[in-house]
Amino acid sequence: MKFSYSWLCDHLKTNQSPVQIGETLTNIGLELEALSDYSSYSQFVVATIREFKKHPNADRLNICKVDDGDKLYQVVCGAPNVKEGMKGIFAKDGMYIPGTEITLKKGKIRGEVSEGMLLSERELKLSDDHEGIIELKKDFPNGTDAVTALELNDPVFEIGLTPNRGDCLGVRGIARDLAAKGAGILKPLDYKKLDSLEFESPISWNIEKDGNSCNYVISRYFKDIINSKSPDWIQNKLISIGLRPINALVDITNFITIDIGRPLHVFDADKIDSLLNMRKANDGEKIKALDKKEYQLDSAVTVIADKNNPLAIAGIMGGSETGCTDNTKNVFLEVALFDPSQVAKTGRKLGINSDARYRFERGLDKEMIEEGLEYASYLINKICGGSVSKNTSAGKLDKNTHVIDYNFNYFEKVIGLQLAIEVQIKILKSLLFKINKITDKSCIVEVPSWRNDVLQPIDLVEEIIRIQGYENIEIKSPYATHEEKEKVTSSLNNKKFSVTKKIKKTLISNNFSEVISFSFQSERAHNLLKGDSSLKISNAISDEHAYMRSSLLFNHLEIIEANRKKGFKNLSVFELGPVYNDSKSQENILFGLTSIQKYNNKHYPINKFDFFSLSELISKIINSLNFDMKNFNIDRSQSILFHPGQSAELHMGKKLIARYGKIHPVVLENFPKLSNTFGLEFFYENLPIETMYKKKLNKTHDSSFQFSEKDFSFIFEKNQNLFEVHRMLTGIDKKLIQNVEFFDDYNSSEIGDDFKSVTFKITIQSDEKTLTEEDLEDVHQNIIEKTSQKFNAKLRS
Amino acid sequence: MDNQKVLQDVTKEIELASSQEALQIVKVTYLGKKGRITELLKSLKDLSLDEKKSKGAEINLLREKVQALFEVKLKDLKTLDINSKLNTEFLDITFPPPGVSAAKVHPISKTFDDVVSIFGSMGYTIAEGPDIETDFFNFSALNIPEDHPAREMQDTFYISDRDEKGKPLVLRTHTSPVQIRTMLNQKPPIKIIAPGRTYRCDSDSTHSPMFHQVEGLFINENANMGDLKGTLIEFCKQFFEVQNLKVRFRPSYFPFTEPSAEMDIAYEIIDNKLQIGKGDKWLEILGCGMVNPVVLENCKLDTSKFQGFAFGMGLDRITMLKHSLTDIRSFFNGNLNWLAKHGFSLGEY
Repeated sequence: MKFSYSWLCDHLKTNQSPVQIGETLTNIGLELEALSDYSSYSQFVVATIREFKKHPNADRLNICKVDDGDKLYQVVCGAPNVKEGMKGIFAKDGMYIPGTEITLKKGKIRGEVSEGMLLSERELKLSDDHEGIIELKKDFPNGTDAVTALELNDPVFEIGLTPNRGDCLGVRGIARDLAAKGAGILKPLDYKKLDSLEFESPISWNIEKDGNSCNYVISRYFKDIINSKSPDWIQNKLISIGLRPINALVDITNFITIDIGRPLHVFDADKIDSLLNMRKANDGEKIKALDKKEYQLDSAVTVIADKNNPLAIAGIMGGSETGCTDNTKNVFLEVALFDPSQVAKTGRKLGINSDARYRFERGLDKEMIEEGLEYASYLINKICGGSVSKNTSAGKLDKNTHVIDYNFNYFEKVIGLQLAIEVQIKILKSLLFKINKITDKSCIVEVPSWRNDVLQPIDLVEEIIRIQGYENIEIKSPYATHEEKEKVTSSLNNKKFSVTKKIKKTLISNNFSEVISFSFQSERAHNLLKGDSSLKISNAISDEHAYMRSSLLFNHLEIIEANRKKGFKNLSVFELGPVYNDSKSQENILFGLTSIQKYNNKHYPINKFDFFSLSELISKIINSLNFDMKNFNIDRSQSILFHPGQSAELHMGKKLIARYGKIHPVVLENFPKLSNTFGLEFFYENLPIETMYKKKLNKTHDSSFQFSEKDFSFIFEKNQNLFEVHRMLTGIDKKLIQNVEFFDDYNSSEIGDDFKSVTFKITIQSDEKTLTEEDLEDVHQNIIEKTSQKFNAKLRS
Repeated sequence: MDNQKVLQDVTKEIELASSQEALQIVKVTYLGKKGRITELLKSLKDLSLDEKKSKGAEINLLREKVQALFEVKLKDLKTLDINSKLNTEFLDITFPPPGVSAAKVHPISKTFDDVVSIFGSMGYTIAEGPDIETDFFNFSALNIPEDHPAREMQDTFYISDRDEKGKPLVLRTHTSPVQIRTMLNQKPPIKIIAPGRTYRCDSDSTHSPMFHQVEGLFINENANMGDLKGTLIEFCKQFFEVQNLKVRFRPSYFPFTEPSAEMDIAYEIIDNKLQIGKGDKWLEILGCGMVNPVVLENCKLDTSKFQGFAFGMGLDRITMLKHSLTDIRSFFNGNLNWLAKHGFSLGEY
C-alpha cells in the first residue's frame, strides 16, 4: 500500500515529520517498507536543449548544447526524443545517478566531450520508463531544481500490510490508526452529500438467490456528464503512487479505492441493459476484462450481467466492453458488498490480482458502502457535471455490529504487564471501539464496522498492546524447571539428535563432507528407483525436482560429479535427511557416497577405498554408538542400487539398519567417471536408541596372565555367511576366547568351485590363571568341533 | 716378542675391519678356538710352572687388551651402522601434502546444534513432524482457512496424493504443524522446539524451495508475552554471541498467534561487514506471538486453563546472518569448495 505524505495529511492533522510517521507506522504494526525521500534530487536542475546535431561516430547518439540557466554544456545523449527547445532534467559531472548507481565522470563518448547527462525517469527511479529523457510539460525557468520541477516534495510511504488489516487499505484507515496512537487528529472526510437527487435510475438491480457472492448492491445513475481529464489534485495524487491518470471517471474510482479503501465500479450506462443481475456465471461463459484479457468463467464465479452477457467479474474486475471512455455521456455507479472468500477463490482461479480483489478478499467496512456512494457521487457531479439519480439497490445490508465481552484482567494474564482499566478503555476508545457496561472487572466492547479481524477478547488485548507499544512489555528471563531438564535428557528425540551427531563425527573424521541437498529428485531418478507414484509434486519448480526423493543416491551422484568436474579431490559426501517411501511414510536416514578417482601422488596415496573399507566404516559407526557388531546380522543386499557381489545389508533382528556397497554399474550409466563409487544408507532410526542409552559398559578384561594365539583354516561351503561363523566363535567360550579375527581367504580348483578356504586367528586368555597346554587344547578342540558341525566345515591340516 | 707382533697385527686388522662381520672374522682369527692368541695360550702347556706364570700373565694381559680393542671397535661400527641406516631412511619431510580439504560439517548442522543446545538449556525438548503434511495440520488447525488471504503469504507445494478428507497433501510451508501434532498428543506443560525442513515454491538468492525453520512452543498455565520476549532475546544473545543486543518487537500478524510480533535485531555495516546487535538498521529475525485461543481449541486444550507462546525462525537466515553468507542457494548445491571455506571442522563442531 502506497500513499504520499500530503495525501495522509488530507485525513490526519499531524505535527509529525514523514520520518516520525514512518516509525509510528511500524510501531503499530503497519510496517514501513519504504519512504521515498527525493530531497537529494535538488542538485539536478531544469535545462533547455538549445541545439543538437548527430554524433559523427555514432548513429544513435546526438551532441546537444544544454543550457542550465548559468552556462552552456556539451552533452552526448542517446535518447530518441531530443529536440530543440525541449526542457529536461540535467545532471552535471560528479553527481550520483540513483537509477544507475553511477557517479558521472567527465569524459569523452566516442571521441566527443560530454559534460553531464539528461535524465530519464528510470535514472531518477521515478518509474521504469527509459524510452527517452524526461520532457517537462510546464515551463520552469532553467536552473529550477528537480524537486520543484517534478513536484517531488511529497514523500511517499510504502507499507506492508498483513492480511488482517483490510481496514488500512485506504489512506483514511491508516490515518485513523495513526490518530489512535496519538500521531495526530483524524479530520472529517471532505465532501458534501448531494441534496438534489432528481430522478429514478433507469437501470435497476436484481440479486439472484443462487448462492452468489453479492449480499448488497447500491447504485446511482449519472446523466449528461462530460468525462474529460480529472483535475490536477487527483492526477497528482495518483501519479505520486505510480498510477497513471486515464479519465475523470476512472481516476475518481481509483482515487476513492485508495483514499477510503472502497472499490467501486462505473459502467457506461449506454452500453448496458436496464436490468443488471448479480448471478453465478454459467459454465463456459466468457468475458473480456478491463485488462484486455478474455476469461473463461464457471459457476464458482459471480458476475454482474445484463440480459445477455456478463459485464463484470464481481469484486474483481469490470468488463472492457462496458467501461467508461472519453465519450461516455451517462454513467451507472455500482457499490457492492461481496463475500471475501468467494472473491478470493475466484481471483485465485482466474489469476487476476486487482486492487478491488485485494480489498474485497480482506473484508471491507460495510458502513463504507453508503459513504463510498456519496463520496463518489459528489466527486463525479463536481468534476463531470450532469445530474444524479436517486438510489437503486438490491439485497440487504446487515448492520449488526460485533460485540465482545472483555475482562480487564485478561490483558495482564496474556501480556504479563499491569495496565490500568482506564488506560485499556482509553486505548480502545481511541481506536473507535464503543465501550459499554463498564464494571471494575469487565466491559462490553462494540467493534467498529471496519475491524472485521477483531472477533475475540484476545484480539482486544492485541489492539491494546499494539497501541501501548510492544517496547513496554517487560522482559522476563527464561528458566528451565527441574522436570523440564529431566524431560530434555530423557526425550527420545533428543537422544536421536545425539545419535546423529555421533554419526556425523565418525563420518567427518573419515573424511566425508556433510552436504544438504533438496528433498526432491528428478523424474528419471524416480523411475530408475521405482519410487512410489504418490510422491509426485503437482507444482514442481522443474523436472529435476518433480518428485519427493525415495533415495539420496542421485542427488549425491550429481553433487559428486559436479565437484569432480571442478577438480575437487576428496569426493566423499554424506547427508542426514529424509527419504520418502510414499506420501505417508518418511524415514530420516544417513546417506554417504564416496567415489574413488585415479590420483597420482607417490607420498600421499589417499584413495585406497574398497568394499571392506566401507564395511569397516560401518563398524566404526556402530561402535561409536556403543553397539556391538555381534548384535547384527550381515547378508547380501538385494537392492538394485548396488553391485550384487559387493553389497551388504546389516540387520538387527528384523530391522534393516544399514545397506552399503559398490554402486551398480547400471545406475552409473550417466556418470562414466564415477565407475568406482561406494554408497551407504544407514537407517539409524531403526536402532533401539532407548536401550543403547540404558546399556552399561561391559566389564573390561584386564588380565595379566599369558595369552595364546592360534590360527585355524577351514574349508566352508562357498555361500557360508562368515559373519555367523564369527558370532558362533565369539560365543563358544566367553570367558576364554577374547578375540576372533578373520584374516585370510582363498579359492582354488584344488578345493573346488563350491568351497572356500578361510583362516582366522583366535586369542585365548583367562583372567584367573595361566592356561596349560591341556586347557588350550580343550578350547581348540571345542572350536574345531563346533565349527565343523555347525557349518559343515573341514579343518585344513 | 711374539706378543708384541700379535698386538701390532691385531690392532692393524681391527682398524681395517669395516663392518661388524669383518670384525667378527678378525675376532675369530685371534680369539676363536684356533685363534692366534688362543694358540699362544695353548702353547703354555709345554712350559715350566714359572714360565707359565710369567708368560701366562703376559698373554692374558694381551688378550684383555685385544678384547677391549674389539669392544671399542664394535661400538664404533654399530654407531656407524645406525648412522648409515638413518641416512638411507632420510626423507624429504618438506614434500608438501596434497591440497585436499578436510571434511567439514555443514553450517546448518552447526546452527541446528546451537539451537538445540541453547533451547535445551531452557528446557525445550525436540519434537518432530513429517515434511509431507495434510491441509489440516499445515493450515486449517493453525487458523488459516481455505480462501483466506493468509494462505497466499506462503507459496505452497502440493503433492499429487490426497489426504483422508480428499484434500491435496502439501509440503509443509513452515514447522508450525508440529505445534498442532504435539498439542494433540501431549498434555501441558509443553515446551518443545521443532527444527526441520520446510518448503515454498520460490527460488532466488534469498529464497530456496527448501529451507529450514525451527518452531518453538511453550504452553502452560501462565506463560506470557514477557516470557516470550525474554526467551527470544536470550536465545539471540547466545546464538549471535552478542551480550548487549539491541532488539525490537513490533506488532505483526500470523493467523495462529494473537498478539503476534516480529522480532528485529539492530545491525550496522562496518568495513563492508555486517555487525549484529547495534546500529540503527533493523533485520527481521523471527515471527512469534501468543498462541491464538482458536488454535488451542483446535487442539482440544482448555483455553480457560492453558495459554502460551510460539515462535518460528528461519535457520538458514540466522546462519547466513551469523556467518555473513549471502546466497542461500549455496547451502544446498553441494559445492565442496564452498563447504571447505564455510563449513566447520570437527574441533569447531
